[in-house]
This record gives sequence, C-alpha cells and structure tokens, in this order.
Amino acid sequence: MLSALIWLPIIGAAIVAFLPGNISAKITRQISFAIIFAAFIWSLVIAIQFKPESSTQQFIESLPWIDSLGLTYSLGVDGLSLPLLVLNGLLTCIAIYSTDEKIIRPRFYYSLVLLLNAGVSGAFLAQDLLLFFLFYEIELVPLYFLIAIWGGARKNYAAIKFLLYTTVSGILLLAAFLGVVWFSGSTSFAYEPLRTHNLPLGTQLLLLGAILVAFGIKIPLVPLHTWLPDAHVEASTPISVLLAGVLLKLGTYGLLRFGLGLFPEAWQNLAPSLAIWAVVSVLYGAFTAIAQTDMKKMVAYSSIAHMGYILLASAAATPLSLLGCLYQMISHGLISALLFLVVGVVYKKAGTRDINLLCGLLNPERGLPIIGSLMIAGVMASAGIPGMIGFISEFLIFRGSFEAFPVETLLCMIGTGLTSVYFLLLVNRVFFGRLSEKVVDLPQVQWSERIPAAILAGIIILFGVVPSWLGRWTEASTTAMINPQPAIAKVIPAVSFSEAKLP
Amino acid sequence: MTQFLLETSWWVPIYGLIGSVLTIPWSAGIVRRTGPRPAAYFNLLMTVLAFLHGSVIFRLTWNQEPVEIVFHWFQAAGLDLSFALDISPVTVGAMELITGMSLLAQMFALGYLEKDWAMARFFTLMGFFEAAMSGLAISNSLFLSYAFLEMLTLSTYLLVGFWYAQPLVVTAARDAFLTKRVGDVLLLMGLVALATMAGSLNFPDLYDWAETANLNPVVATLLGLALIAGPTGKCAQFPLHLWLDEAMEGPNPASILRNSVVVACGAYILIKLQPVLNISPVALNALIVIGAVTAVGASLVAMAQIDIKRALSHSTSAYLGVVFIAVGTQWTGFALMLLFAHAIAKALLFMSIGSIIVTTNNQNLLEMGGLGPKMPATTTAFVVGTAGLVGLLPLGGFWALRLGMDDLWTERPFLVVVLLLVNCLSAVNLTRVFRLAFLGKTQPKTRRAPEVPWQMSVPMVSLSIVTLLVPVMMQRLSLLPGWAYVNQTALLLLCFSGLIGVVLGVIIELPRNWSRSTKSPLRFVQDLLAYDFYIDRLYRVSVVFVVSQISRLSNAIDRYVIDGLVNLVGLATIFSGESLKYSISGKSQFYLLTILVGVSFLGFLMIWLFDQATFREIIEKVVLALNG
Amino acid sequence: MKTTSLKTRIHPLKPYIDQLKSGNALLVDTPDNVMEVVGILKSYGVVLDAYQKNLIYIAEHQFLELFPFFKYFDGDINLNKLLRHWWHDRINFEYAEYCMKTMMWHGGGGLDQYLDTPEFKERTRKAIEAKIKTNLPIRLVDRLFPEFLLEQVRQQAYYSALGQFWYVMAEIFLTMSDLYDRGKITTIPEVVDHILKGLVAAANKPITYAVTIDKQVYEIIPQSVGLTFLMDTAVPYVEAVFFRGTPFPGTVSYNAQAYQISPDQSRFQYGALYADPLPIGGAGIPPTLLMQDMRHFLPDYLHNYYQTTKRKEDDLRVQICITFQKSMFCVTTAAILGLAPYPMNTTDPTEQKANQKYLEGWMDRFLTSQLMVANSDPNASLYSNKTENS
Repeated sequence: MLSALIWLPIIGAAIVAFLPGNISAKITRQISFAIIFAAFIWSLVIAIQFKPESSTQQFIESLPWIDSLGLTYSLGVDGLSLPLLVLNGLLTCIAIYSTDEKIIRPRFYYSLVLLLNAGVSGAFLAQDLLLFFLFYEIELVPLYFLIAIWGGARKNYAAIKFLLYTTVSGILLLAAFLGVVWFSGSTSFAYEPLRTHNLPLGTQLLLLGAILVAFGIKIPLVPLHTWLPDAHVEASTPISVLLAGVLLKLGTYGLLRFGLGLFPEAWQNLAPSLAIWAVVSVLYGAFTAIAQTDMKKMVAYSSIAHMGYILLASAAATPLSLLGCLYQMISHGLISALLFLVVGVVYKKAGTRDINLLCGLLNPERGLPIIGSLMIAGVMASAGIPGMIGFISEFLIFRGSFEAFPVETLLCMIGTGLTSVYFLLLVNRVFFGRLSEKVVDLPQVQWSERIPAAILAGIIILFGVVPSWLGRWTEASTTAMINPQPAIAKVIPAVSFSEAKLP
Repeated sequence: MTQFLLETSWWVPIYGLIGSVLTIPWSAGIVRRTGPRPAAYFNLLMTVLAFLHGSVIFRLTWNQEPVEIVFHWFQAAGLDLSFALDISPVTVGAMELITGMSLLAQMFALGYLEKDWAMARFFTLMGFFEAAMSGLAISNSLFLSYAFLEMLTLSTYLLVGFWYAQPLVVTAARDAFLTKRVGDVLLLMGLVALATMAGSLNFPDLYDWAETANLNPVVATLLGLALIAGPTGKCAQFPLHLWLDEAMEGPNPASILRNSVVVACGAYILIKLQPVLNISPVALNALIVIGAVTAVGASLVAMAQIDIKRALSHSTSAYLGVVFIAVGTQWTGFALMLLFAHAIAKALLFMSIGSIIVTTNNQNLLEMGGLGPKMPATTTAFVVGTAGLVGLLPLGGFWALRLGMDDLWTERPFLVVVLLLVNCLSAVNLTRVFRLAFLGKTQPKTRRAPEVPWQMSVPMVSLSIVTLLVPVMMQRLSLLPGWAYVNQTALLLLCFSGLIGVVLGVIIELPRNWSRSTKSPLRFVQDLLAYDFYIDRLYRVSVVFVVSQISRLSNAIDRYVIDGLVNLVGLATIFSGESLKYSISGKSQFYLLTILVGVSFLGFLMIWLFDQATFREIIEKVVLALNG
Repeated sequence: MKTTSLKTRIHPLKPYIDQLKSGNALLVDTPDNVMEVVGILKSYGVVLDAYQKNLIYIAEHQFLELFPFFKYFDGDINLNKLLRHWWHDRINFEYAEYCMKTMMWHGGGGLDQYLDTPEFKERTRKAIEAKIKTNLPIRLVDRLFPEFLLEQVRQQAYYSALGQFWYVMAEIFLTMSDLYDRGKITTIPEVVDHILKGLVAAANKPITYAVTIDKQVYEIIPQSVGLTFLMDTAVPYVEAVFFRGTPFPGTVSYNAQAYQISPDQSRFQYGALYADPLPIGGAGIPPTLLMQDMRHFLPDYLHNYYQTTKRKEDDLRVQICITFQKSMFCVTTAAILGLAPYPMNTTDPTEQKANQKYLEGWMDRFLTSQLMVANSDPNASLYSNKTENS
C-alpha cells in the first residue's frame, strides 16, 4: 500500500521520460499531473484508513534487501509522517500545475519532479536508517538538476552550493547512522529496535551532534543556511514551492525521528543549547529578512525564521510542543508555498522581484489585485493572525515550549512581531500606492495562475478555523515520542492507569 | 424558541462574517459589469439581523443569571482551547452597542462612499470588523478575545489602507498595524505565560487562579505589564497612540467605529482582565500613569490640531486614558459607563464631521465657518455629541464622569483633578471646533454647503436622539444615583469645569489664518502640540533606527561573513558560475554530481570492506578522548 | 525691461498655440484619434442623455423631498426596475450628482451670482412656504436653520442647470456620431468644428428653472434673470469639472497638516484634464463611475479597438479614461475657440496679440495637464519602460 506512493511516481517518471518527442510540453504536463494526482489521492486513501488513535507505525511493509549490509526495505507510516506525505502529494500537484506550459526539455523536467516526489515520500516512509539515507540522497539528484537547468541567472552557483551543503549533510548523516548501528551492536539498520540509552553519553552526544549538523543544514539553521536563499532565488517558482514546502521538512522530520527519537537522553542534555540555537536562528532569519529587497529572498529568510520555531519546540519536547512541530511543518509548508507561488506570478508578470521597483500592484485594472489579496492572506497567515493555520501552530509551539524554556520562548515570540514588520514592508511597498513605471503594462493574469494559490489560501484558512482536523492524525504519535518505551507502558498497564487518575 | 435564540447567541458575530463573505464576488472584482451596491445591501441586511437577534437576547438575559456557552475548539496533548461565551446583560448589551453602531456607520457609508467604486471591499471589511468586535463582547476566554483582537488589528490595517493608492494611507496603515502588533505580541507573551501558569484561559478560571496565585513579584509585574500592553496599543494610549492620528487617513465611516467601539474593545479586554491584573500592583499603577499621561497630553494635543478629524481623534485617546485610570483604580463600573457614553457621543461627533468633510471637500478647520445655518442635522449632531461627551449637561458623559469623581473622591483626589482637567480641556476643544466649523462667516470652501442626503442624515439624527436618551437608558439600567447619594460638591465641580471649558472655548481668539506665533516659546509649544510632541520622530530615531540597523548588520554578516566564509573555504568559489562555464546540457554537472553523491557511498562501502573491528577501535578511542 | 522680456518669452506650449492658430485642435489629428474620440463621445452622449434626464427629473419632481428614495427612477417605478436598481445594474447617476455638486461648490458664472440675490431668496421663499405648508417639523427646522432649505433649493437649481447643459451636449455628441457613421466627419478639426457649432448655436439659450407645487408654478430662475447656456453653465462647468475638480480621496490626503490640498480652490488641478487615468477603477476615484457607465455603450468599433491592447477587457475602464481625456481636449478646443476674443485667422496685429495672450493664458493651465500624454501614443508614454515578458 505504501510502496505505491514511492513506485507510482517512479514508474511515472520513467513513462514521462520515454514519451515520444512529438508530444507537446502541455500534454506532458497533463500526463505528469494525472500521475501525481493519483499518488496524492492514494495518500488521502491511506489517510482515511489510518487509525489515528494508534501511536505505532501502520501499514508496515518489510522486505529483506541486502542482508550483508543489514539493509531492509521496510516502510511504515505514523501520525508524524502521514500529514507530511499528504502535503508532499498536494504541493507536487500544485508545482506541476503551476509550471510554465512552454518549459524547455519538458520530459526531463517532469520526470525529475516525479522522482523528487518519490524520493521525499520514500524518506518519510522509510523505517530503516539506511533506507532513509538512500531516499535522502536520491532526492538531491533531481533537485540539483531542477535548479541547475531551469534556474535563474546564477543557477550553477546556487545548484553547486546546494549540492555541496547537502552532500556534507548526507555524509554526516551516514556517519552518524553507521555509528549508531555499530555502537549499539545492532545487526541491522531497522529503526524500531534501535536504542541508544546504553551508550556512553559522550558517544551519544557525538552522534547526535553529527545528526544535528546534518539536519541543521537541511532545515536550515543559522549559520548553516546560506545555500537556501541562493537556491530559492535561482530556482523556478514550482521548485521553490517544493523546496520550501516539503524538502525542508525532511530536515525537521529527521530531527524529530532520528535526533529526538534515537537519542532521548543526549537530547535532553543538549536541549538548552538547542533552544538558544533556535532563538538565534529565528531572530537572525527575521532581522535579515527585513533588510532584503528581493521578495523571494525575503520569503526565504522568513522560512529560516519559521523553521527555527520547530527547533525550539523539539528542544522543549513536551507533548504539546511536538504537536506544535507537526503543525508548524504543515503550516510553513502551506504558507511558504503560497508565498512563493504569488511571488512567482508577480515575477512572471513584472519581470522583477525588487520591492524598490514594484509599487501599486493592487490596482484593479492594470495591477494584480487578486494575486495581491492572496499575498496579503499569505503574509498575514505567516505573521500568525488568528483564523489561519499559522496562528494555531505558533501558539502550540509557544504554549508547549514555555514550560521548558520560558525565556527562549519569549525571545522567539519577538520573531512573530518581526515577521509582520518585514512582510508589511513588502505588502506596502509592492501592492499599495500608484503603479510604478516598471509595471504599468503587465500582461493579463489567467485564472490558472490564481487557482493554485487560492486553493492553498483556502486550506490555510480551513485548518486555521478547524485545526483539530489536522491534530487528530498526529497527537498519539507525537505524545509517544516523549515516552520512548511504549512497550514498557504496555507491560505495566497499571502505571498508565494510575497516571490517568492524576489531575 | 426563546431558549433557541439564547443558545444561538454565538450566531450574532457570525452574521457579520457571513455578510463579509457574501460580498467577496464584488470586492474581489469578479463581478465587473454591475456595480458593488448589492454587497453593501447584503452586509446591511446581515447587520440588521445581528442587531435584531441581539436585541431579543438582550431582553431574554435581562435580570437573568449569566449563561455560559463553551465550545471545545481544540483539545490535544492536555491542552483544551475552548471558546467560552458569556451571555449576560452586560456582554449582550455591549454586543448590541457594537452591532447598532455598525449598522449606523454602514448606513452612513452608503452615502459617504456613494461615488466610490470600491464600496464592496469597504463593506467586506466592515462585516469582518463587526464580527470581530461583537465576538469580543461576548467572549469569556482570553484566548478567544486575543484572537478577536488580532482580527481587529488586521481589519484596522485593511480599513485604514482602503484607499491604498494614496501615499499617506500607505504609511498610516503600516503604522496602525505595527503599533497594534507590538501591543499584541506583548499580550501574546503574557497570554502564553498565563496559560502555562493558570492552566486555562477562560476568564472565570483565570479569576480563580489570580485570587490564590502566589507569584514572584518580578514575574507578576512582567506578566501584568505584558497584559496591559495589548489594550494600550488598541486604545491608542501613550506610547502606542500615534496610529490613531494616522488612521484618520482612512474613510470616515470606519473612523466612526474606530473612535467609538474599536478603541472601546481594547478597554473592554482590560476590564475583563482587571481581576487578573490585581496580582500586580505595579501594572495597576502603570495603568493609572499611562491613562493620566495620555488623558492630559492628548487633550492638549487635540486643541492644537487644525485637522477636524484629528482634533477629535486625540480626544478619543484622552477619554480612553480616563478609562485606563478607572481600570487602574479598579473602578470597572465607571470604566464601562464612560466607555458607553463616550462611544455613542464620539460616534455622533464623527458622523457630524463626516458630513462636513463630504460636503466641503475639506478637513482643515481654518478653512471652515458658517456651516451652522445651512446644515441642521450636522449642526445638531455636533452640539448633541458635544453635550453628550462633556460633563456639563446631564447627559451620558456627565453621569459617567460624576460616577468617576465619586469613586475617586476620597482615595485619589489627584485623579479627580485629572478628570476635571480632561473635562475642561475637552470642552474647550469641542467648543473651539464648533466655532471654527459652524459659526462665523462662510469661507470659499463652505460657501455652498447643502445638507447631506438621507443616507447620512438619518443615522445622524437617530444617533442624536439616542445620545439624548442615554440618561434614560442609564436610569433603566439603574446606573444613576438617587439624589440623596449625590456628592454635590463633586457635581458642582464637574459642571464648573465643563462650564469654564465652554467659556474659554468661546472667548479664546481663533485666528483663521493659522499664523504661527512670533514669540518663540509660544511657537515652540504650539508646534510641539500640533505635531504630537514629535513622538513619531522619537520613534524614528529609537525603535525604527535600532531595528533597521540590526537588520542591516545581520544582513551584512550574512553576506560577507557567513556566506563569504563558505565561499572562501568551500569549493563553491571554484565552481561558481564566474570561474567555470557549464554547458546547458549539464554533462559536466552530472559528472560532478555523481562524484559527490558517490563520495558518501564509497566512504561507506570502504569502511565496510576494511576491517570493521579496527575501525570501531579508532572511533572508540576518539570518543574516549572526547569524553575526557 | 519687462515688456520686451514678455514679448520674447516663448511659451513652453507654443506648438499647441500654433496648432490652434492654424485651425487645428489640441489633439493631434490621426484616424485612430478620430475613431476613439467619436466613439467615446457617442457612449458619453448616451450616458449624458440619461444623466440630464434624471437631473431635470430630480430638479422638477423631487423638490425638497427629504427622502428621495426613488430619485433615480425618473418617476417610473416598477418591480423589475427596482430589482435591477438594487442589483446595481443601472447607470451611476451618483456621478451626475457629483459633477453637479462640484460645479456648485466651485461656483462662478451668472447662476452662482444669482443664487445670492434677494430676488432668488424671495422667489424661493414662496416655493418653500408652499411646499412645507403642512409639514410642521420641517417648518420648525426652517425657523431654526434659515439657510437650510434655501441651500437645498440652490442645489436644485444646479441640478436643473447642469441638466439643461448636458441636454445640449448629449445632442451634439450623438449627432456627431451619426455624422461619423455616415462618413461626414473624418478629422479632428471637423470634430472640434461640430462641437463648436453646437455650442455657438446654443450659446444664448436661456437657462430657467421652475417647479410646480400643488399645480401652482413657481419660477425659481425666470427667463428675465438672463442666464444663458454658454456663459452661465458651459463656462463654469468647464472650469469646475474639467479644470478644478475635487481631490480624490484615493490619491490625495485630506489631512490638513499634510497641506496637500490648496486652500485656494482656483489653484485646484484635479479636474478631468489633469486626472491620472491609471488609478481609475480603484478605491476613492469617483470618475470610475463614469467610465463604468460608458463601458456599456461603447460602439463596437471602439470596443474591438480596446481588445487589441495587452490587457484586453481587463483594463477597459483605464482605456476608456485615456480616450475620454483625448475627447475632452477636443471639447476644450471648441470651448477655447468659441470664447476667443477674435477669430483665429485674423490678420490684424492687435487682434493677433490679444489672441496670443488669450491662448497663452489657457496654455499656462495646460502645463501640468494630461495634454502631452494624450498627444503621445498613450501606451508608449504611460509605459515608458516597456517590458515584454510574454
């Protein structure tokens, strides 16, 4: 059942790659969209059949693969990965839908996007460290090409930078995984039986440190972040949507699953420093965003700030803050996708993203009024205005982390205030005022360019109004993460029983 | 049926929201061939429904025990965020006031914006505005109230930004949002802390907690200050007051609401929070200080304004300052009564000046005059509004201030003086505005001034009647004292301060050509007040400067230190587009990619192929060394 | 030597002066311009006709009605019309009232002067007394606010006067369109000439206003006052609406301390000849109403022409406004020629001098107007940095 989520896009990628050359780019896009839409629907089917009350992995599939390496092909899904899988499907649909019709080398492009989707799904599903690593590396290849071939003026620089960073991330990750397996004396890379609690603390810290840096690059956290703004600026709009929407989530997902999940003890030791790291990341990202003049760079730095909240919440590691992590991942995925889409439309029409050149785009006749309204919705969601998903995510994170790190939480909250500063500057400069000379004669905007953003805005508002629809999948899993020995709880049911009685 | 209406009292805010959503086809410009008015009618209709439903509830709750309605909105991981509503005569009365004001303001807007093609967007925002405010009125949970406050912040931003192409509107909308946001973020901090400490955010639970809470005084002080920050921004109190002045760039019907009920919403939260604030005497004193400073300062600033809207908006800050004093001294009854009287009278004054602006295409008081005999509804509205605000004639403002004087008489005589001063200055200011606008000779811009059409005059006349009836309402609500209990000295003093104000307002010289005084000290004071103590410049050289410098610094670090280091150390410099040229085919990249991705696999395989034990030994040694 | 310096001063808009002297218009004569101007004036004519009917209806039949709920119905109230009215599927008569109010507010001309005379007061009083005879509350208000009803009647007089002015103009524009359709108008000077002839023909048409109350006719502006079409409505109208206008809240701040609006109305430059067409359609831009009304009556050839632009139907109202400004410069040309002290082709040097001075006076006012924009390719000038992204 889960394999379909990986293999459907991979087979699709193969089909698209070997389509006859006389098929137009538009039709190639339609075929790819049909494939990815099927995968998305399939992920929804899985979500419907998923039992939210269970905290363990579900729909488990396991096949021995390379015994000598201890590698098994084992997949599973729990409350943490399920929403991310669905998000991956949704955003890939949107990315393909909003790709330029007349793109060059369409077959290569769409098969790469499908491959990317497969890689990300695989990483979320993998129940084996080595398998996770494989998917984590596989996903780099298509993304590298997507930036290097279809990117902007400095695409080579950005693509290489991205590649170097993520390769370092990959090597560190591999080293850490190997270390975990060897030191714990395990015979395989399977996730479930791995425990590190009997390792010396120093070893734990070393391995956890490697994992932190590895995923810190991916998330990214300051000062490991400089690949991100470049990659975003050079990537085309749909790729930025995928990069911000799902790929960064691999980092935070990994942090929770392989950092907190494998090293609960070392995690606790490092948590205070992690919280400070989160504060640095949040404030640094927010302040740097204020100074940006490129809309896309601003959104990219805002991503860094918003991903910093997740580090704070995972450092606090309370049931509530971990739930907040998942909310923030989904929320950031949706909101940053919306913002990148809208910025993409502005760029496509106006030919620039410089906020000093753009002005007055709300003009109803010659501007982009609906795109402008969607932008306002997006930035308000990002600034945490109630009624949209950004608010409840941030509230859960702050409320959940305050118990553990009150000062750091308060400092991070300054970040939400700064978010409104830079995004308001953006909206006021770009959308208010009289149309500037640069943009008095923009081409028409089609409904097909507005619909993806409108759908995202709708989802953002929907989950903002009824956030519990999202939380019910996740709560059991995130709560279980804090308590790493669910088996023990099962053995002694009296313990949990007496706990339930306590006020 | 009655039970049904009571249980569905949460519909009242929803009506506004529905109206707002219904107008989207027009406000988004999807309907292009026909005009935007249906949007306005939908909204008006929904507001009428809200008002009627509210008035039925009001009758039902009369003399009844408060009903609490709780929705569990979000329950997870031990957190229970519930939407608690408190259906009591006070809260429903506040909601009625809001929907009623919204109704009148929307009707007024029908006339005021009749030649504005973006009318639909205005009504969309008004519906949203109304929903947030009426929800706030019946909310019994700090969490919910905070959510509504933020919605208000957003809709204020969008309403002030209604004429988005006008340059001053752009800065005004930005400042309104950011100033309120500063307050809101501080409030959110307080809220998160409070939620963690008290465990629940519903007001009754918070009250229980506050009674027994034993907090470290520093924590209590910080918490208290954080909680009052939100209302300080919302009520345009010093030092977060500048936005209200700037917000006057927005259309007048929104200003009617903003100066009457929106600012009152901030104060309403404060009143709701008052029992919690008791944990921190510092916070209560801060309230008194903020309130007193704003009340006196804003009253003075108002007198130096030549813009008719701003002359009144600063007076709003002043009255809200008095409300702050009331909450700080724990006299919430006084606070509520003053909010009520002020909301109605100030809304009326803003309607009156709205019709002046639309008739004379002008907001400059110095270019006005002689409107009195020509505009009966407008003139009456201004006179009645003034009377309703100033403590002189026995109307709303008088009775509210009297209550305050009684409350503060023995314990805080100093604050009684502040009250009298505010009353006197407010009388001077309003008399001054009245003289400039309505009396004297007509000037070119007021020479032809026919009274406004019925869409604007009907709300004006209705609200004038309501203002005159406020004492009757207070009587019905048993808010007026029996004659025997009246502190007659206080009463006389109040009348006297109002009278002095009016007399001063009548006799001061009002030069039409605003000549700056030639005496430099006087000129300095004049400018200082006219430009609001230059607080905006103070902000520019302090907060704004610091934030922009930090952001520039962090950007520089990012570009030159972090990224520079990466580029210097890393291979990136070698491969950067400038030094190596790649073909579009991506052939060479592919090689590079295979190499780099392969590195990790190779490394892994080699380790595996070599003696595993030796490798483990090496690692262990390293680890041991690290461990000490 | 002031006189010599004046003599040698070359007016920055000298080319336009020469153009007018040589019998051309302010607007360049190109076939596209003719098509645009005639087309827009055709739809403007239709709209004006509806406006003027309504203004005159209000002036005559809604005299001192406090609640004129059906003032836009021209007396014909039926359910279908009411529903369409509520759906806002109608002409925006608010714009006609806006022009009327602007004209009244700026004043000028014989009508303005007459409204301050004792004769007007006396005549109006009689009508007012007749109207409010049985309405006690209003009688009381009238006592307390003696200028209230008088001012309302002044406004009614302007309703009527503007209606009578537009009646003439609508006919001029519609007949011109017919002539164009029959191929009898092919150049801009012919357009101007047609308008000029229409203005001259109506120049001395008397402007009067009377209301009937209880079958008794009350003459508010009798013919004996001697108000005439050209000097007492056309000239003040051009001044108030073409030149001065009122500041749009969507682009200008009313904040008194920002000093964006001049205290002197004669220095206002917010009228139709100055307004920036780009913000049309946005918030706080009253002329949007007119452009919206005209979009329904565009002749096909003009509508098709707009379809060839980059944004096609999307920015129709801005396109209409750009064209409309062109046409208004033709109307202004006609007004300038009509009011000129001497014929343009005079050979008498003193007359030439007087003409020169007269034209320079106008040109001074055009310095900051949209004249230069209207005369360049509108798209080229508005979009000086042309960017092609498609």
